[in-house]
Amino acid sequence: MLFVALMCSAARAQEIQLGDARAAASKAHVVLLSDAVEVEGGKPQVVELRFRVEPGFHINSHAPKDELLIPTVLKLDSASGVKVAGEEYQKGSAFRLSVGSAAGSGETLDVYRDEFRVSVRVVAPKGASTLTGLLRYQACDNAACFPPKTLPVSVAVTAE
Amino acid sequence: MAGTHNLRERQMAIQKSQQNQVNLSPADSSANSAADPMAPTMLGKVAPAFTLVDLKGKKVSLADFKGHPVVLNFWATFCGPCKMEMPWFQDLVAKYQPQGVVMLGIDQDDGMATPQIAAASKEIGVRYPILLPDNKIAKDYQLSDYLPETYYIDKSGKVVDQTIGAHSKDELEADIQKAIGSGGQ
Repeated sequence: MLFVALMCSAARAQEIQLGDARAAASKAHVVLLSDAVEVEGGKPQVVELRFRVEPGFHINSHAPKDELLIPTVLKLDSASGVKVAGEEYQKGSAFRLSVGSAAGSGETLDVYRDEFRVSVRVVAPKGASTLTGLLRYQACDNAACFPPKTLPVSVAVTAE
Repeated sequence: MAGTHNLRERQMAIQKSQQNQVNLSPADSSANSAADPMAPTMLGKVAPAFTLVDLKGKKVSLADFKGHPVVLNFWATFCGPCKMEMPWFQDLVAKYQPQGVVMLGIDQDDGMATPQIAAASKEIGVRYPILLPDNKIAKDYQLSDYLPETYYIDKSGKVVDQTIGAHSKDELEADIQKAIGSGGQ
């Protein structure tokens, strides 16, 4: 319940676009779009971290339907004084595999495509700090899959 | 490659891009392979020998199947497209058993327990041998970063086709027929 309430404060945690990691997408298939946020210092806040999946690819959601599939998981460190109290993942969307003439007859997956968000509940000390961690995911397209990968996540947090 | 939606499209886009390039230096096949991760690097070469173990711990060597067409399919339990084409391989290997076709799957999961791999292959519906990799087969076969990857080896032990990504059942059958038809009697 607290988390839901805190979600309302997410709008106050202003997101800043810094840098452009898009060039990395072709190798990693996923990039972090939110690499800086502003929050109120010393208070529980929810910040939304936005990620973008390379066009034409999908990654499993946090809750794939098949236990053999590798879920997307964000592991954040409570470094630099930013306390991480939990994460909430966006729901995935249905995606049906299709190969050749068997179009539409394959397994239906629960995936992230295009953009997806992970809402993170944090308490940041006043001043500048950095939220770091790793996003683990596994990317595929219609016809091929890639080994699981980890994307380093680094978000500059400015707390006033 | 942004804007394309599957591996086949990417391959076609790469081919088109290469056709549009002007060659200013002598052709260098090794350089081309390095530039194109989809390039069939083993085509025409003798399939590297291996001895691996199956899910029951029994040793299986490529040499055991000398004189047979062999289909070698690298797959993983996390790979949806792999699991889509594996039942087709099961059907086709049964269909072409009279021609001596041998099908071998090589699991590429990292750190998955053998019973889990066995349960997954049973659920997928394959009855052909699933082998566990050693630390050199990926290098020997110059595996790319993509799964599935399939090698079609003829009776003489030569790789007559190499495919990356899942293909239709018709395409798999055509490749199996190519392996059957090559390498002499």
